[in-house]
Amino acid sequence: MDGAGPVHDEEGVILTAKSPAPDPVRVEVAGLTKVFGTVRAVSDLAFTVEPGSVTGFLGPNGAGKTTTLRMLLGLVRPDSGTATFDGVPYAALPRPVRTVGAVLETAFHPARSGRDHLRVYCRAAGLPVSRADEVLAQVGLADAGRRRAGGYSLGMRQRLALATALLGDPAVLVLDEPANGLDPEGIQWLRGFLRHLAHDQGRTVLVSSHLLSEVEQTVDRVVIVGGGRLVREASMDELRSGADGAGSVLVRSPEAARLAELLRTDGAVVDLDGEALTVTGRTTAEIGGRAFAAGVELHELRSRSSGLEEIYFQLTAGREQYAATSPTEENAR
Amino acid sequence: MTALVRAEWTKLFTTRVWLGLLVGACVMVIGFAVLLTAFAGNPEADIPAVGTPLYEELAMANVVNVNVLFLILGIIGMTQEYRHRTATPTFLTTPHRGRVVIAKLVAYALAATLFALVVAAVNVATLAVHAGARGAAPELDADNLGTLGSSALALVIYAVIGVGLGALLRNQVGAIVGGLVYLFVVEPLIRQIPATSGAYKWMPGGGLEALTATFQGPDLLEPWQGGVLLLGYGLVAALLGTFLAVRRDVA
Repeated sequence: MDGAGPVHDEEGVILTAKSPAPDPVRVEVAGLTKVFGTVRAVSDLAFTVEPGSVTGFLGPNGAGKTTTLRMLLGLVRPDSGTATFDGVPYAALPRPVRTVGAVLETAFHPARSGRDHLRVYCRAAGLPVSRADEVLAQVGLADAGRRRAGGYSLGMRQRLALATALLGDPAVLVLDEPANGLDPEGIQWLRGFLRHLAHDQGRTVLVSSHLLSEVEQTVDRVVIVGGGRLVREASMDELRSGADGAGSVLVRSPEAARLAELLRTDGAVVDLDGEALTVTGRTTAEIGGRAFAAGVELHELRSRSSGLEEIYFQLTAGREQYAATSPTEENAR
Repeated sequence: MTALVRAEWTKLFTTRVWLGLLVGACVMVIGFAVLLTAFAGNPEADIPAVGTPLYEELAMANVVNVNVLFLILGIIGMTQEYRHRTATPTFLTTPHRGRVVIAKLVAYALAATLFALVVAAVNVATLAVHAGARGAAPELDADNLGTLGSSALALVIYAVIGVGLGALLRNQVGAIVGGLVYLFVVEPLIRQIPATSGAYKWMPGGGLEALTATFQGPDLLEPWQGGVLLLGYGLVAALLGTFLAVRRDVA
């Protein structure tokens, strides 16, 4: 943990302001497209983010996540399409910081203290400057608030960025790769914090990452993008059930060839490699039962299917190259 | 808008850039005032003697010699948002980016007014001591106050031009280097070369010179015209900067 780490309760959650949570706000992205030069960074992207849940915005590096978030927040102008908060684009929100808080990058003047940094935005947003101290405490930076932000560790910078996003007590929280630079304890704290904001307070949380494993325990839903396009929008349960169905089973046996023959005659797809078998279309129980009935000795029997990361990888595989090769593809057309 | 202007002041006064520039400006103005007074009446230096109206006009207009620091003040005020990437939270807090630039222009014009008054006071105090020691401290009569006031006004306009230039270029080092090269190389060259010296009176430096020193040098506009011209440059830079800040992507 950083020198001036936070003090938090056993759940790792610091409870937020006593004020009631704001009214829920739904985020809707429709037909969003942005072209940089010859690269289609984002292409006809559409998804929704519901209040009361944490939504993971996933995709490999260069998939268009940051560009999408910047368009959502009115920082980058889309070539077409809309991104709205309960039907209102960011720039038209009457009090933007009270509706949306965003952590896009750790941006602050190194010579300014974290507290002064927050006070600047309190002033600009018409919030009482006392909010600066409240959010500093909320993210566990109370003791470091008066120090120059330039001396903060990476984790403290992320916390300061999060504090900036929380100033307006927003209904929607948008975070771009917030776990970068956080140590394991910080990541666990962030996990609990985001779930608390969404589940207990009904806020809308959208958090991007290029690693599913990083947010797997945090998010309820995922929006997966690749090459600027939507690949999959699903709940984690849906994603997991997809993973179970599509998996394979690894078997090791001294009588591998005989077992492979038995399973093939049953209609399973079997890949034989020495003593190892990779079987698709059968559960571990079915294979174990078949082997026992035939008296085949087994040395190993395990499912390789449940890996969400694998499903995620399959969904996004090859998408990374898409962005790089698209200009030539476009030219070829 | 008041809230945004106050936010800009908070930004300005929570780092020490302003202090460095203000102290630098005071030191510079003292140095120039001492040099000017030391060589006043020296036939080789071609500076009029202490006590003459011409000397006093030059001495009061000495304030504008620190215009470069006021230009830098404005440039840093705008470009630091891009340099330290705070443009993102700034424009998230205020999605109407034009209002951010306008708030910056107002905040820096007001802060520069304060700083310009300090510099003017330091200039007068230095002259009072040094020229006083050499026989005649300049009196703060209408003529002298007029020159002093228009010189201070010129400093404020340079800060405004700096904000506009910063919004235009966004790159801090580029804007400062560009500003320095322009002030100390481009304009003096244009002023010296006979073929281009006719255009000089229409340039910011020409406007500044017309506003503050109405003798010697090349063909210049009337003082008030010089002031309007300079202000025009400030407004054009500000408008262009606002327009671009609104249209450009913040990536």
